Parts: sequence; structure tokens; C-alpha cells
Amino acid sequence: MTTMLQKPADVQQAVPPAGATRPKRLGEGAVGFFMALPPILLIALFVGFPIVLAFGFSIGLTGGLNHTIAIIGQNVHEADSWWGTLAAYQEMFTNKRFLGDLLVTIIVTLVGTATVIFLALGIGLYLKLKGGRMARLLSGLAIVPLFIPVVIASWAILTFYSGTGFLRSVFALAGLDFPVWAFTMVTVIIGSVWTSLPFAVLMVSSGLQSVPNAMIEAARDAGAGSLRTIVSVIVPMAAVPIIIATTFTAIGIVGSFTVPYFTGPNSPNMLGVDMSNYFSAFNQPQQSAVMAFTVFLIASGIAALYVWANFRSAKEQGKA
Amino acid sequence: MAINAGSRAASRIRRPLTLDSIVRSALVGLFVVLMVVFILGPLLWLGVRAFAGNWTFPHLLPDDWTLRWWQVVINDGALGIAVQNSLFFAPLTVLVSAIICLPAAYAFARFEFPGRRFFLISLFATNAFPKMGLFVTLAALFYALNLMNSVLGILVVHVLGTVVFMTWIPAAAFAAVPRNLEEAARDAGASKLRVFASVTLPMALPGIIVAAVMSFLASFDEAQGTYLVGAPAFMTMPTQMYSLVLNYPTQVAAVFSILLAIPSVALMLAAHKHILGGQLAEGFQIK
Repeated sequence: MTTMLQKPADVQQAVPPAGATRPKRLGEGAVGFFMALPPILLIALFVGFPIVLAFGFSIGLTGGLNHTIAIIGQNVHEADSWWGTLAAYQEMFTNKRFLGDLLVTIIVTLVGTATVIFLALGIGLYLKLKGGRMARLLSGLAIVPLFIPVVIASWAILTFYSGTGFLRSVFALAGLDFPVWAFTMVTVIIGSVWTSLPFAVLMVSSGLQSVPNAMIEAARDAGAGSLRTIVSVIVPMAAVPIIIATTFTAIGIVGSFTVPYFTGPNSPNMLGVDMSNYFSAFNQPQQSAVMAFTVFLIASGIAALYVWANFRSAKEQGKA
Repeated sequence: MAINAGSRAASRIRRPLTLDSIVRSALVGLFVVLMVVFILGPLLWLGVRAFAGNWTFPHLLPDDWTLRWWQVVINDGALGIAVQNSLFFAPLTVLVSAIICLPAAYAFARFEFPGRRFFLISLFATNAFPKMGLFVTLAALFYALNLMNSVLGILVVHVLGTVVFMTWIPAAAFAAVPRNLEEAARDAGASKLRVFASVTLPMALPGIIVAAVMSFLASFDEAQGTYLVGAPAFMTMPTQMYSLVLNYPTQVAAVFSILLAIPSVALMLAAHKHILGGQLAEGFQIK
């Protein structure tokens, strides 16, 4: 556990500018390009292409490769003009069930992400500023969910907060009544925080750990209090890893399926769950595709932040 | 002597703060206790269930203990097949993913080529897009290519879930190998292949191991896509969990959970030093 937050100092300097340190040889670029190609092709074929195809399906283009699914599915809106139709989108965005799901998804993502980052920052700062056995214990605890498959975690959390769960048992023994949280959005948020915590803690504390101690002491010598030091020195210097942790957590929660599937209510639930309901149980693949693109839109907004943060950090390192 | 005096002085300065520091450590203690309950509570609550007979509601422990549920799981054929399927797909996924992704990881670390940055971002796209949405969009293509309910279809789903780990983490590990070590070996007359095999690869191995462990677990834990593409023809351990929870007593699901967690915990413990040592965090920063 002691090695946890060591960030090899030489890594950052050893990382690219690849090829910039020595004269570029002709052909090296081509070799690199072809070596990097296989995973890109895999993704183009099984992620990029299906997304284009499914987008076509969602706007009613039911020919070609979409033919089979259009026959199997029910309630399919077919294109009435050359570019398609927005009928499926219109149907879903006036559908109360979908709008409820969308609202719930946004709330769970916001509350869950905020809680995860707050906890990760708290643990990371405690580790950086105080250290000691208690801090290592805390960060060790926060990593535990990484070891547990999400399916099991969701189910364990459900039974823990259920009608006959631990919390209700403890309160009942004391003669008090504790609310049943199982199958409510409270457990969904708890489950999302539980499963997202390890990655955020690893990312945030590794970022905080690389803030030079000399900077912190300098701020203190200049008369800054603990809070002031944290807010205007430590957190800004670790901004990039914190943003990466935030975006990955938010993307993970917005698209989550297993946690809300096990622990959430029937309706309204998160979009990931209802997407699968529309696809399998209701056999309405087009409506399901509309939901998928709604989640994509939210996720790509978050993803843009991630890419921006990374390139900002790459630029800073290039300058240094 | 001077040091002693100094530390005594320091402890004297700290003394007026004791009440404050007691309150502060009590708060920290409370937070730690809450975290223990929050993180470990559900796991222990579930673990006890696997050995529980009857359990009356407000009691904190079962009324009697039994190993009956373990017998049920071991004697159930469907559960055994799920275990076999999981143990078939996970290693195969790691192997296929390594063959496809490791050369790319090396290229990202060592070569500057047109489209490098675009490639890195498109790899990220698989992770940025919600899995369930991806599988729903994949379904149309899988129907058309007849990949539904096939081994190849499940393998594609599993490998897609590992591409980011298998590319990014080893890429960061390759990039961290100092170039001058490689060049020194070259100057000593070693061939390019020799340099790679005896300098670059061993130094990047911890990163590759972390990537392999994460990929194995990603495949082993993959439930949503396997369920959509493979069920009911191919049930793996996590997809079997879905029906277990609905159709069996909770104790059986608890036993199955423990079985399902064993490989994860074992692999994570074996690789935890590297994972916590920054290999994972390092891999997730595009450079």
C-alpha cells in the first residue's frame, strides 16, 4: 500500500515527443501507422460503423443492413423523405416514461459524480497532507471495489439496504424504523459511488501526490491557511488528473446498466436499463436506438472535456 | 541535544490544541468507520448469507449455519456450464486482445505517424460511449452478419471491452522505457529484435501484466453485452447471476457470488502492487 501513490518522476519526461529527439526516418511513420491499425480497424468495424448504421435506423432508414432488425422490431417508423424521419425521436421526446428516465439519469450522474470526486479529493488530500496509517487505511479501503465484479457488488448492495438488510436490522434492534432504500434511486446512487470510487481515488491521489511539497510549504510560509493552500495551490496544480477522474466517473455512471438494473426501481430508472427493456422486452429496437443516441450526446459532451484536459496537459509538458 | 529541545518546544506549542485535535481525530475516526460500513458492509452481509440457514429479520447473524447451498451450486449443471464458459472466454479474450493491441501500444509509444492523435481519440470513443448503447447499436450489425448467439459474436463484444486497457496501459509502459538504454544495447551490437526482447519488453512487462489482468477481469465480469448477444445459448458466470437472483434462494446467489469473486480477488492481489503503483493511472492520460 505504501507504493500506492508514487508516480515515477522520469515517466513524464520519457513520454513523447516521440521521434522528435532524433531525425525522422522515412518509413518509420508508415511502420507505426500499420502497427497501430488493427485495434482501430476493429473499433471502426464494430463501434464506428454500427453507430452510423444505428443512427440511420433511428431516423427511419430501414434498408440495407438495417433490413433484418427492421423486420424483427415492432413500432418501427420508416423514412418518408430521402434523409429519413424524426418520428422516432418525436415519439420518445414526448414519452413521459423516457423523459422521467432522462431526468433520473442526469440526477444520478450529477449527484454520483460529485460524491465520488468529493470523497476522492478528501482521501487524496488527507493522504498528501497528513499521511500515516489512517490515511493508508482509507485509501486501501477505497480501492476494494476494484476487486469485486460489478454484478456481485450491485447485488450485495441491494441486500445490504433491503427490507431485511443490515441498516434496517441495526435500527430495528434499537427500536427505530429505517427506510427501505432497495429498489429506489438512493441505492442506485450508493451503488454508482461504490463502484466508481477506486478509479477516481487512484487518479486523483496520484495527481495530488505529484504536487511538489516545496510549493505547499512556500504557500504556508507566505501565510496561507490550510484551506487557502488546498483551494489555490494544490487543487489547481492537480487539475488535469482531477478532470480526467471526473469525466471517466461521469461517463461510467451515465451509461451504467448493472447497478441500476439490480438495485433500481422498475420505472423511472436510468436510460441504460430502459434501453435494454425497449430492446429485449418490448422489442422496439428503434426506440432503444433513440435512447442510446441521447446517452451518446450527453457522454460526448463530457468526453470533450476529457480530451481538452489531456491536450492541455500534453501542451504544458511539451513546454516544460 | 538541540534537536531534543526543539521537539520539546514543538510539543509544548501543540499542547493547547489537544482538545481541537481530539475532536478532529474523532471526526476522522467516524469517517473511517462510515467508510468501512459503506465499502465492506455489503460484502460481509452477502458473504455470511452463503453459510446461513434460517435468518430472522432483526438479528444481525443467522439462526443456524449450513453448507447446503454450496452443495446446490456444485450439483447444478447449468451453473457448472456457466463457469466453464467464463473460463473459456476470458483467456481467449486476453490472447486475441494482446495480439491485436500490443503492437499498436508499441507504435503509439515509439513512433510519430500521421493520424496518431486521431487514433488515440477514437480508441477513447469505445470507452466514452455507454456500453449498453453500443451493444444496442451493434445488434443490427450482428443480426445482419449472423453473429447473434455465436462464439465469435461474444468474443467480439469481450475484446471491444479490453481494447482501451490493452492499448493505453502498455503504451504508457513502453513510453517509460528510457530510449538511451535501448540505444546503448543497439550500440553494443544487439539487433532490433534482441533489444526489444531483452530490454524493452522486460521493462514494460509490469504495465503489460496490469493490462492483461484488467482485460481478463473485463471479460470475466462482462455481463450486459454477453447477455444481449449470447443469452440463452451461451451463459457465462455474470449473465447466470441475472437469472440466479430471480430464480434461486438468495443463499445460492451468495455462494455463486463468492465463486465469481475468487478469480478477480486473486488476480487483483497478484497485480495490486503495479496497479496501485501508478501503471493504471498513468495509462489513462493520452499523450
